[in-house]
Amino acid sequence: MTRKILSELLKFYQKYLTLLGYGSCRYYPTCSEFAKWQIKTNPSILKAIYSSILRILRCNQLFEGGIDYPKISYKQFPKIYNSCQTHNIEYWYIPESNGFRVVKNIYLKG
Amino acid sequence: MNENINIQTRVIIATVLSLLVFVGYDYFFMPKPKNMVEQNSSVKTALNEVKKEPKTATPSHTEKSTTNVAQNSQTTDKSLSNVIATVETSNATIEFDALGRISQVYLKDKQYRTEEGKELKLFNSPKIPKPLEIRFSDPRLNELAFKTPYTVSISKVNIGKEKPKELLFTQNLDGLIVKKRVVIYPDHHYDVTVKMSDSKSYFISPGFRPDLRIDNYTVHGVMVEESDGTLTIIDDGDAKGTESFRKARIAVAFDRYYATALYDFKNGMDVVINKDTEENPILFIKVEENDKTLHGYIGPKEYKILHSIHPELTKIIEFGWFTFIAAPMFKVLMWLHNFIPNWGWTIVALTILIRILLYPLTYKGMVSMHKLKELTPKIKEIQQKYKGDPQKMNMHMMELYKKHKANPLGGCLPMLLQIPVFFAIYRVLLNAIELKGAEWILWIHDLSVMDPYYVLPILMGASMWLHQMVTPNNFTDPMQEKIFKWLPVIFTFFFVTFPAGLVLYWLTNNIFSIAQQLIINKMLEKHKKAE
Repeated sequence: MTRKILSELLKFYQKYLTLLGYGSCRYYPTCSEFAKWQIKTNPSILKAIYSSILRILRCNQLFEGGIDYPKISYKQFPKIYNSCQTHNIEYWYIPESNGFRVVKNIYLKG
Repeated sequence: MNENINIQTRVIIATVLSLLVFVGYDYFFMPKPKNMVEQNSSVKTALNEVKKEPKTATPSHTEKSTTNVAQNSQTTDKSLSNVIATVETSNATIEFDALGRISQVYLKDKQYRTEEGKELKLFNSPKIPKPLEIRFSDPRLNELAFKTPYTVSISKVNIGKEKPKELLFTQNLDGLIVKKRVVIYPDHHYDVTVKMSDSKSYFISPGFRPDLRIDNYTVHGVMVEESDGTLTIIDDGDAKGTESFRKARIAVAFDRYYATALYDFKNGMDVVINKDTEENPILFIKVEENDKTLHGYIGPKEYKILHSIHPELTKIIEFGWFTFIAAPMFKVLMWLHNFIPNWGWTIVALTILIRILLYPLTYKGMVSMHKLKELTPKIKEIQQKYKGDPQKMNMHMMELYKKHKANPLGGCLPMLLQIPVFFAIYRVLLNAIELKGAEWILWIHDLSVMDPYYVLPILMGASMWLHQMVTPNNFTDPMQEKIFKWLPVIFTFFFVTFPAGLVLYWLTNNIFSIAQQLIINKMLEKHKKAE
């Protein structure tokens, strides 16, 4: 529920409020996009919010910027029953030391 | 494409965000303005209703009234509202009525006068309680007290600049002698001591708030500073019922600029908040010990006056829920005002100060702009390759920036930081009485209200448009581009009703950004030529 509200808020922000500073963010994905991914994928919503805030704090001229994918830690994945639906994948989880990087499948429509 | 977008663009987003925040806030949370006449008549009808009710309380009621403040207190006898004592200080006239209450305060200083030069009256509605009104817990005694006039030791007091003077009000309630001693100081703060021949528990009120400046932009109601320093504010119309605070330090009822307060920083006071028929909060101090002294202040919420009475009393200057940022901002403004006598120029100086503080970030951005120019061919290549796929284009652009350690974008943090600054200035302009009637130049005679000739908002819109002209922007979405182009117009309308001081701040900020952008543009051009 909280996730839903937060991501709707972010969508609203991206659609209307970010207009003027289109591309003011120093990162890929942008801070708002980063937060959206975190909220969608991070098993702990508090950690998602925390790392999103940290990201915004890092988003200034004292940091280099560039590509910075969200990182999450997953202990146990939910089971995937239908292994044929690979074309529906929304996020890729790329294993890393104690966690996963989250990369969105940008070719997925919808 | 995202080249050359500097702090200013983000600042614009910041504005939109903050605008939305406080337009939304005003809309959803601010009490709606009330017609004064309407208010008065409703008070009168409320009082009539009270009169119709039998004044003797039912037994269950009596029990209650030991913890609650007796409500039926308005008297029908006209002679009791006669002024029996007048106190003149160098900047105010204070009148006491026959019930030993402060019935009116006139402010004499020039900045508090009306446009016609008349002295301001702090209390313009018949709302009760009046400052220093006493209500007894015992309903029978209370009824008697509101029928018995006080006598006063001296009916005309003139307080010069140095010494406080004392007034002694005496009331005889069937043998119970009530002596209310009021010591008034030249800066119209006062001490009040109530002594009775037989100890009775009673309530004394700092009064219903002044009603000079009631609007829906600022908070008005009551505030209590509890023993641990927590501030509780109850807006007019939001009082829920009886609330009590033990050992509170300040109890204040206020409108936008003026306040009436009782305070005791040493021993604390037991504050009880009641509500009237319109859910407006009403303050009382419950006193059980005989011969208790309380301190009070009645007048404008001016920082210097309050600070000279007691530094902690400045807490009654309230900037709404944003005080934690607005209060330091106000202090910075006052500090700057020490050097600059004109408030308008002080705001300009504040803008410069903020830009200086942000300069390290701006500078870093400018330096990376140099490096960026060398990457131009590569950037163009990426742009060509990923036309129509902005997400992928962004990704590759970021990769490039990171590789060459040159990122032209300012970032989200500086943008978000602008919001509180803007909001704080807005609150300070609305709430600080020092800025009431503060002039700038030419046609601006009051920075705390809107520009009467719309000049500043139009200049502001023009400066914004100019800034857009000098800042290179590339939109991938034509819809976004369209809205962006219209923004200066939208903003002009938004800013029309804003305090002139705020528009001045924004205009100054825009002018500096334009100058900065022109410098950057020149720098880039030089590089082009060098190639």
